Amino acid sequence: MTKKVINKSDISKLLIDANNEYNVYVPMEHIGGDVLFSALSKEKNSLEEDVKRINLASEKTFNSPKEIFYPQLETMMEYNDKGEIKETVESSKKLVFGVRPCDFHAIAHQDNFFSKNYEDKYYLSRRENSLIVIIGCNTPPRPEACFCTSVGTGPFLTEGFDIQLVDLDDYYLVEIGNEKGADFIKKHEKYFSDPYRDEIKHAERKKLEAEEKINLKVNFNKALQIMKTEEIPQDNLERIAERCIECGACVYVCPTCTCFDVFDDVKCGEGVRCRIWDTCVFSGYTREASGHNPGAKKEFRAARRYEHKLKYDTLETGISGCIGCGRCLHSCPVDIGMSNFIKEITTNQKYH
Amino acid sequence: MIKKTLTSCIYCGCGCGMYLVSDGNKLIGTEPSENHPVTQGSLCVKGWNAHEFVNKKSRLTHPLIKKNGKFRKASWDEAYKLIADKFQTAQKEHGNDSVAFFSSAKTSNEENYLMMKLSRAVFKTNNVDHCARLCHASTVAGLAATFGSGAMTNSIEEFERADCFFIIGSDTTSQHPLIGSRIITSIKERGAKLLLMDPRKIHLSEMATVHAQQKNGTDVALLNGLMHIIIREGLEDKKYIKDRTENYNELKELVKDYNPQYVSKITGVSEDKLVEIAKIYATTRKAMIVYSMGITQHTTGTDNVKSCANIAMLTGHVGIECAGVNPLRGQSNVQGACDMGALPNCYTSYQKVTDENARKKFEKAWGVKNLPGEVGLTVTEVVDGLGTGKVQALYIMGENPVVSDPNQNHVIECLEKAKFLVVQDIFLTPTAEYADVVLPAASYAEKDGTITNTERRCEKMRKAIDAPGEAKPDWLILGEFAKACGYNKMLYKGPKEIMDEITTVSPHYAGMKYSRLEPFGLSWPCLNDKHPGTKYLHKDKFAKGKGTFMPRPYIAPNELPDEEYNFLLSTGRIYWHFHTRTMSGLTTTLEREAPVPYVEINPVDARALGVRNGGKLKVTSRRGSVELIATVTDKVCVKSCFIPFHYIEGSANILTNNAIDPVAKIPEYKVCAVKIERVSQ
Amino acid sequence: MKNDYIPYPAVIESIITESFDTKTFRVKFTDKKIADNFSYVQGQFMQISLMGTGEAPISISSSPSRKGFLEFSIRSVGKLTKKIHELKVREKMFIRGPYGKGHFPFEEIKGKNLIFVAGGIGLPPLRSLINLIMDNRKDFENVKILYGCKTADEFCFKDELKAWNKIPNTEVLLTVDKKTDDWTGRVGVVTELWKDADIKSDNAVAFLCGPPIMIKFVVQKLEGSGFSDKNIIMTLERHMKCGIGKCGHCNVGDKFICVDGPVFTCAEVKKFPKKDGAM
Repeated sequence: MTKKVINKSDISKLLIDANNEYNVYVPMEHIGGDVLFSALSKEKNSLEEDVKRINLASEKTFNSPKEIFYPQLETMMEYNDKGEIKETVESSKKLVFGVRPCDFHAIAHQDNFFSKNYEDKYYLSRRENSLIVIIGCNTPPRPEACFCTSVGTGPFLTEGFDIQLVDLDDYYLVEIGNEKGADFIKKHEKYFSDPYRDEIKHAERKKLEAEEKINLKVNFNKALQIMKTEEIPQDNLERIAERCIECGACVYVCPTCTCFDVFDDVKCGEGVRCRIWDTCVFSGYTREASGHNPGAKKEFRAARRYEHKLKYDTLETGISGCIGCGRCLHSCPVDIGMSNFIKEITTNQKYH
Repeated sequence: MIKKTLTSCIYCGCGCGMYLVSDGNKLIGTEPSENHPVTQGSLCVKGWNAHEFVNKKSRLTHPLIKKNGKFRKASWDEAYKLIADKFQTAQKEHGNDSVAFFSSAKTSNEENYLMMKLSRAVFKTNNVDHCARLCHASTVAGLAATFGSGAMTNSIEEFERADCFFIIGSDTTSQHPLIGSRIITSIKERGAKLLLMDPRKIHLSEMATVHAQQKNGTDVALLNGLMHIIIREGLEDKKYIKDRTENYNELKELVKDYNPQYVSKITGVSEDKLVEIAKIYATTRKAMIVYSMGITQHTTGTDNVKSCANIAMLTGHVGIECAGVNPLRGQSNVQGACDMGALPNCYTSYQKVTDENARKKFEKAWGVKNLPGEVGLTVTEVVDGLGTGKVQALYIMGENPVVSDPNQNHVIECLEKAKFLVVQDIFLTPTAEYADVVLPAASYAEKDGTITNTERRCEKMRKAIDAPGEAKPDWLILGEFAKACGYNKMLYKGPKEIMDEITTVSPHYAGMKYSRLEPFGLSWPCLNDKHPGTKYLHKDKFAKGKGTFMPRPYIAPNELPDEEYNFLLSTGRIYWHFHTRTMSGLTTTLEREAPVPYVEINPVDARALGVRNGGKLKVTSRRGSVELIATVTDKVCVKSCFIPFHYIEGSANILTNNAIDPVAKIPEYKVCAVKIERVSQ
Repeated sequence: MKNDYIPYPAVIESIITESFDTKTFRVKFTDKKIADNFSYVQGQFMQISLMGTGEAPISISSSPSRKGFLEFSIRSVGKLTKKIHELKVREKMFIRGPYGKGHFPFEEIKGKNLIFVAGGIGLPPLRSLINLIMDNRKDFENVKILYGCKTADEFCFKDELKAWNKIPNTEVLLTVDKKTDDWTGRVGVVTELWKDADIKSDNAVAFLCGPPIMIKFVVQKLEGSGFSDKNIIMTLERHMKCGIGKCGHCNVGDKFICVDGPVFTCAEVKKFPKKDGAM
């Protein structure tokens, strides 16, 4: 694998350059210190401000980049009362810079989901011209919730990526995973230089240290095995259901969740059809027009979600629908989370 | 291109900090703030979906003037001129108090301030009020009398550390989900105790240490009974009572009669449960009273609130961390709207209009003379006034009384009789249909400003996108309208400048300069530019000096079931919807979860009526009748029923009683008598 | 890349009122090229839209043997279907599809005895196959159609029911839950018709469509008559938004009803997670 280094102070210059060719999405600091993926402005003055807000510190980013390829609310088509329908597809060239390794697994999961059977043009068009730069997690973004080492999705990738950065304090070691990545580096080669041997060694050491910093460990494989053969004990489901306040956060923050609802909005003949993220943890999700609802019970919905992530996704692709990012626990106002669920079914102890 | 703007959620009083995700001039998502002290990376379902309705094509985009019963587009100038003319004519012919203004708990502090300034400085009337009248007017009256300050005593963060929750009349997980979730987590993770008093079974019932299902409207008896037990057992905080309170003997005297046997008979709560609740509450130091509409929306609302204050003082449970009396405010800025003086009896910071010094202060600040010194009309009185002709013209900003006020038929009749009605809103609401002029306002996502959440945290909302069409922020509309009326001192560069003015006239907000409100705001009182804000109230000393025990006797609700109207109806909110559904009803996920109005009845009654879950029922009160889908559930007791008030299509407020609390003028939404019949299909 | 979410206009050629709440719409794509390239298989469904109102999955109730048009029999239950019911001849709806890899077998069931069991609005999806069989009647043995509704005025395809009944070796048996004055036939749930029909599993395949509770009891009854799981074939309905396996609503276990179904054998359905309540 080809490796380069880039001085941290050159990152903003690199992104300003790249901003000419791509829409650049990068974790940016917002008011109060929240770090979220946002787009760099195309206007010179605001761009300078934006660049100052870039924050690639691994313990920071809150949200996954899911919304860049699959926004929470997306217009699918516009129409009028003459019966004309116009699809609204977005396909700009995107550089998504600073994606976490676990989230890259989620993107792979989404790529597969949105292209199997029927192709989802909205997702695939947004995704088509995108370059993804991974940044490994020297420290976990959610120390109480990250469990990527148990799933095998982080804190660094070994293959499959376009470009991966390793944080070496003043520098990043740049690992180039494929031709697409190489082309990008070549185009901006003035910012990159060859690494010294010590730097490569340093990076390997950092990766090992990073692994040790993931304190939350669960027996993920055992969980997959149990889910394949056994029913989830009713008691577990009931305890989860009793806590759940039905906010939907576990789904909204999940980088692999894909469900959506569709609605129309029209006035005086001019209308749009849009889709909006939906969640399987709500009762109305499965209610049929007749009123019949297989998912009327909270326990059922909890089971369905865990089975989907840990059983059926795995059956089909061999890749689990959970990437160990811990966001469901982190964003759950009542501390329900995938890691707690896994601990419960693998250890028979109560975590909820 | 994705842009993210931190703002404050528009729904309940939690005041969650969240990011609106925009792409161009459309909102495409919502994300919680990780660092905001309330939100901490979480939101409820309404928050997660708070962007969708803003985009809707049904948003108002132009001023509308009604001609021959139909709305036509008009220019802003034309609309302002017409309103100014009608309001001024009404005042000329019928006196200053013939016009009235409804402010809005959905708009910013700055806008509420301007609305009351408009009413008082420009139109010289104190007829300005807002929907707090319908939710927490009794809190403001009751807690001001006992403690000296009508607000939540503690911060939301303290819920994470309290050891006992005394919840009376609050379905916390539904109405204030991020407070509810803290209660759940405290119970589950730290073993906190939950004393729940609610006639209905709610989500929290499942994990309550004790759930007492008192009969609706017997709260004063219940609370007096608990105090009786506390005193009988010697569990009162004697030192606290002596050092920090007054009028204890009167309380002791009154509650003497409320022995468990007597109270059990009135409330339907077993004596054992009464004793258990009293003992746990009195003996846990970090014990919080949490209440909401179940306490306030009664003809005895103020008495209920005073009784809550009494029991807290009796046990020394106010003025310390993690213990206090916490009325949960239901609208994003209902606390702020009260603080800003959008009330008929006070200016900002509850400075009384009857106080000459206060009037002089505002006359000077506003450059006007002769501010009116008589208390104005309340929301409920203004509506009645439209019917009788006492009020000729009404200006409503962001409220929807046709759906939200009790006795809907009466409200509609009064609005129809109004000589002139202006409605300023983001959608053409059922109320706007009755207006003569409709003004299009910017939504929360389209303007800057501040709101004050239920924990008194004044925090910023920030503009994410432009308003559609010609819609303008309320503060700008009010300023321009004032100018059209000949008053030029309400034109500002922006909300910051308005807040600068507010800080000079409002002691609670004196230190709340915009520069200090970044990132997540400050809680009042914030008395000067160095003051750090106040986490919990009444530390060492009550706002009014000594806390005053205000013992109240039990009085039955205004209308109870009888032979003909044999069911007790209670109304309220549900988790999925918000208020009159003007926003949540246009949100795909929320509307799908609760698409139709319904009535909850007990399985025993359902069997007697011969109706199944999903069948149709006709519910009738002395004021009207409505057909609803039956939800058969043991959440409600036998011979009781519950109807969510959100739906215009099956409006609970056709049925509700407009009898009001004599002090706070809050209607009794929580108790009235109805009869129920099956509708054959 | 094809955008599978975009529907195409189709004009209504005729409307037949089947019952008090159900109408059959015969439609044709307005674009000739689309119409010419269009084909479908019995048991498939399409997504029907009214722009501005919404979209819903509706089974094709016409037989692929009758070309040049599509028929949908739609019960007015929700916002969208109510609006569809207000449409008139020459007006347009928007459709996309056909969807569903899992459709009714045809070649495989030649030479067999066929039993159809339908409840309420469950007959339209079966009708696609029934008419295909009637158009190839000689290739099949005995055909029995058991059909139950709440009341007599709920029956769809009243003329066809009579016509089918007149075809040799073809029997139509009806029942209603609630008797009305004009009804002289059987009263009771659809399984009551076992008393009238001589249901045998020899060389037979059964096709079902109806509410979950009906499916449950009919399957028990068929099993009692000796049918094996793979010879009981049913078409399922679920809340759906996209029809192409993306929106997630119809997901059951590792299957999407829209893509993998809507037609499944009873053997397949039995592998669904029990709590999903397919049966």
